[in-house]
Parts: sequence; C-alpha cells; structure tokens
Amino acid sequence: MGEQILNQVVWPLLHIVAIVLPLVLAVAMFVYWERKVIGWMHVRMGPNKVGPLGLLQAFADVVKLLLKEVILPTNANRFLYYLAPLLALVPALAAWSVIPFGDRLVLANVNAGLLYLLAMTSLGVYGIILAGWASNSRYALLGAMRSAAQVISYELAMGLCLVCVLVLAGSLNLTDIVHAQAGGKGLFDWFWLPLLPVFVVYFISGVAETNRAPFDVAEGESEIVAGFHVEYSGSAFALFFLAEYANMILVSFLASVLFLGGWLSPFPASWGWLGQGSFLWLLAKAFAFAFLFLWFRASFPRYRYDQIMRLGWKVFIPITIVWVLVAGCMKYFGWVSVGTGV
Amino acid sequence: MIDPNLFQLVCFYAFSAVTVLAALSVILLRNSVHAVLALVLTFFSTACVWLLAEAEFLAIALIVVYVGAVMVLFLFVVMMLDIKQEQVREGFIRYLPVGLVVALVMLVEMLALIGVRAMHAVSMGADPAAAAGVSNTAWLGTALYTQYLLPFEVAALILTVGVIAAVALTLRHRTGSRHQSAGQQVGIDPSRRVRVVKMAAVRAEEPEAVQEETRT
Amino acid sequence: MLAEYWPILLFIGVATGLGLVLLAIGLLAGPRRPESEKLSPYECGFEAFEDARMRFDVRYYLLAILFIIFDLEIAFLFPWAVVFQHIGIVALIEMALFLLLLVIGFAYVWKKGALEWE
Repeated sequence: MGEQILNQVVWPLLHIVAIVLPLVLAVAMFVYWERKVIGWMHVRMGPNKVGPLGLLQAFADVVKLLLKEVILPTNANRFLYYLAPLLALVPALAAWSVIPFGDRLVLANVNAGLLYLLAMTSLGVYGIILAGWASNSRYALLGAMRSAAQVISYELAMGLCLVCVLVLAGSLNLTDIVHAQAGGKGLFDWFWLPLLPVFVVYFISGVAETNRAPFDVAEGESEIVAGFHVEYSGSAFALFFLAEYANMILVSFLASVLFLGGWLSPFPASWGWLGQGSFLWLLAKAFAFAFLFLWFRASFPRYRYDQIMRLGWKVFIPITIVWVLVAGCMKYFGWVSVGTGV
Repeated sequence: MIDPNLFQLVCFYAFSAVTVLAALSVILLRNSVHAVLALVLTFFSTACVWLLAEAEFLAIALIVVYVGAVMVLFLFVVMMLDIKQEQVREGFIRYLPVGLVVALVMLVEMLALIGVRAMHAVSMGADPAAAAGVSNTAWLGTALYTQYLLPFEVAALILTVGVIAAVALTLRHRTGSRHQSAGQQVGIDPSRRVRVVKMAAVRAEEPEAVQEETRT
Repeated sequence: MLAEYWPILLFIGVATGLGLVLLAIGLLAGPRRPESEKLSPYECGFEAFEDARMRFDVRYYLLAILFIIFDLEIAFLFPWAVVFQHIGIVALIEMALFLLLLVIGFAYVWKKGALEWE
C-alpha cells in the first residue's frame, strides 16, 4: 500500500514539480532576458538596479504583482472574472506533461501526444474570450474578439503543420517523432529540411498563436490598450502573464522537438561526445527559438488586423495543405529517409 | 493495495457523475454563458469517460473538435446575442408541453434502441487494438481508410457543402469599405509609379553662406 | 494505456492548484479599497455609459463556423497520417480526393470574399 502510493502518486508529483518549478523560474528569467535584450537592441541598459546586473528584477516584479489589489470592475461577472485566468493557465501548463526532454525523460509517454497538444492549445482560447466578456469593458471585449479570431485562425495552420510532421514520423508519440529524426547525418536528418516551408509556417503561427509582436494587435497599446486583460490587476494579471510566457517557451520547445530533432545532437553520431544526444541540446535549440520571439518584437512593426488574417488564411493554410500531400509523396516514394529509432 | 480495476470504476462513476451534473446545469443555470461553460464541462468529462474505455483518439478528438471549436462558436453567439432572462422564462412555460413530448419520444426511442441491442447481446470483447499491439489511432485509421472509405469521402462532401452553405447564408458585404489587395500591390509595375527625371545639377549659393555664419 | 494518462490528470490538478494558490495569495495579501472611479471599466477618460457587451460583426461567427469545419478535417487527417503507409497508394489517392473537396470549398470561400477583413 505505502509503496504503491509512493510509486503512483509521490514520484509523479515530484516529476511534475521538477517540470513546473523550473518552468516558472524560466518564465521569470525569460521576462528579465526579454527586457535586457530589447534594451540592448534599443541601445539602452535594460533592468540593472535590482540585484547584480538586475537579475532579481523579475522576482521583485512577481512579489509586487502578488501584493497588489485585484480589482473587480463594476458589473463584472465575479465567477467568470476569476475563472478566466485559471482557464488560460491550466492548459498552458498541462501541455508540458507530454514534452520529451530526453530519451525516456518524459512525464507521460502517451500514444496520442501530438493530438493531446493540439487539444491543450485549443483550450487556451477560453481564457481569452471569458476574460474579455467577464470584465464588462469595451476595450477588453474588442481585444478578446480580435485575439480569439486570430488564435483560432492560426490554430488551423498549426494543426496542418502537425499533420505534416506526423506524415513523416508515422506516430503521434513525441518520443517516436524525435527518434524518427535520428540518423547518421546529424542535423540533415531532422524534419526541418524536408518540411522547410512547414517549419517556417509553424514557428510564425506559434508567434501569432501566443499573440506576440508583430501579431499583437489584440494588445496593441496604441489602439485598444492592453486587450482582453486590460481590467486585470495583481495576481489575476500575473496568471495571464505566466500563461503567455509558458506558452511562448512551449512553442519554442515544440518547434525544437518537431523540426529540430529534440534532444538529438546536430553533429553526426561518429563525432564522439559531440554527437551524443542530450537534454542540453534541446535546451539550446529552445533558447534559440525563444530568442527569436524577442528579436521579432524588437525588429518588426505591428501587422494590421486584416493583414494578419490574410496571412493566416490565404498564405499559411494553402501552403500547409499542399505540403501535407507533398510530405505524403515524400514518405510513400521514399524521397526522405526516416530513422526508425536508436 | 488499491485494485487498479476498482480505481478505474471509481473514476468512471466520478466522471459520469460530473457529466450528468454538468448536463443538468446546462438547462438549469440562468446565465446563458454559465450554461455554455457547463456544456463545455459536459463534453470534457464525457471525453474522460471515453478515455477510460480506451478510446484514446475519439476522446481527444472530442476535446479538439467540440470543446476547442464548436463550443467557441456557441460562446461567440451566446455572449453577443444578449438574451433577456425574462423572455426566456416566459418561453420556458409556454413551450414546456412541447418539450416534454419531445423528451418522452426520445426516451422511448432510446429505450427501444437499447432493448434491440440487448436482444442480440454481445458483451464487449477485449480491445482489438491493444490485442494487435498497435495504437488506438492507428487501428481506427486502418478501419476508416479501408473498410469505411465511401462514408469517409461522403463526409468530405458534407463538409464542403457545410462550408458553402455557411458562406452563402451569412456573408454580407459592407458597401463602401476598402481593403488591401496584396496581389495587386505586389504585381504593380514600378515604372508606372515612379518616374525618374534626369536633371542637371544646380549649385545653391545661399545655404553655404548661412553655414559659414553659423560656424563662427 | 490508461496508466500513462494518470500523470496528465495529476499535472492538470497541480496546474489548477498553482493557479488557485497564486490567485488566493493576491486576493488575501493585496489591499482592498474599492472606490467607484477605480472600479469603473477603462474607457480612456469617458464616462462608462452603458453595458459593454455589444453585438459583433457576423464575420466573427462565419470565421468560427469555418474554423469548426477545417478543424474537423484536421481531425480526419490525424489517423490517416499515422496509417497511410501501411495501406499504400490507395490511402494517398483517397486523401488527395478528400483534400480536393476541401480545396473546392476553400476556393469558394476565398472567391466569395469571406476571408477579406476590411
């Protein structure tokens, strides 16, 4: 009995904490890194007062947010107003349970991992819509409708990208997908090469899906202030913030797992320790993608709303539909070599 | 020692209870947005029950399609329609007899169906997918794309009709609004927009004098 | 198979717990000094004069309907992508047919201008 509880409850819980805690810390450091990087790109210093090099800035912000008043606007629907940030956060965190961090280093090695991810990302839209509606504010509602329409449009493109990966890998299991990218040629075996257009579409859709610049019309501060969470303050706002950044890091990890071979090394296996797969490779790839999010934000002017919808529906969806068939032909006629696992 | 089967049974009853309670609250809650969320919960817990029955693909597809897409449309509609509560209450009494008749007919039909199925009762066998050692999704795909090929293509046809009907019924063009045509923008001929004119260089006398002054 | 979903259930529980705890900390530790100006919805300096829940362009509903249909098609594509290699060329052809029908619908939507946002 005791041993069973240990195996069935305590160990999984410890594993979950081992994912969630670093994730929350990563979000804090990512916020700091974002402000630093954007500062440098603007030829500024970025945060540098709190702690050495400003490293404690993010933690100071967290404490501040938690100690602020949570304002409930007049005429707001109390229940939905507090439910919305939870609905945004839970799917953003729960999606992490199927991410493979290394060979056999995965919390839930489910068969339908990719499908589960699609389900979790499709739930994120509820937090947005409910937040906008429950606040009883025009700006919030407008932002919510814009966000929701944008998120569901890019979800289609993302779903079709996942199908392309699936066609080549032949399995919904994320560990198997990484194994299918293994081979003797290092980075030339990964899926980014045969699926190059899809790879680009996937990452850009990820940026749009998380409502980040240059697709951040929903919170375009010069037009509709902060979008769907304009009325939120204190810890309720902190939950939205946490969910958004957890989603950004998730997209970075997923792009690495699906297209850049996850924990596999970019060098051929014959190169000794450099050719060995490791968690550190995955971390490095994800970090590169996360950096792209910040680079985009500092570099690109904001898209107009009709341009965003045009890009999603008229460019990305046609490209991915065509590439589903192209990938099918590649796999069927053996134009690409797909590793069968190590 | 907790028996896994017992635990599964407890889970089944827990999820089923949530499903039934949520379904009841869909029709009992006054606030229509709350009712839609109750329906979301109903679908979610139904998906959990399906997962317990080892229908992995269907369970997650239920979440993706119904919770992720259909209910979002419901939410859009209900949120924006701004239904007045009094009108709804009034209609409730008036249509109650009709509703009861419909409910009764459905109940009889369902009981009849269950009765017919029960007559040639075949107890559910072990999961064939697990027996064959392939994933649930692969098993379903094999059946769908070999045995049920025609229904699958018919489904595609129905979806196409759905797309066309949705557009034909709801699309209204606003008059007088302008939009960007990216094709035209990309396809323009630069020589028609900008005319490069060759001019002889002209030397300006005045500004130099001004500069000299400011320097001193 | 079910055993692998158990950690996911736990994870959802932990995530909900984390959210609730953070929300509770904010509600308990933060001050609470309601004031009518502070609680009124943000309106860029205007007085909030009516309920903000307004009607929206029918375009949003159309978009949601289109999303449902395309989402369904993606749900159909998933099992196909897993098994098509075992079935062979027939599967490739039937999916090409399926996608062709989808593209016809898509082309109609495009041509009608339902994807334009002006």
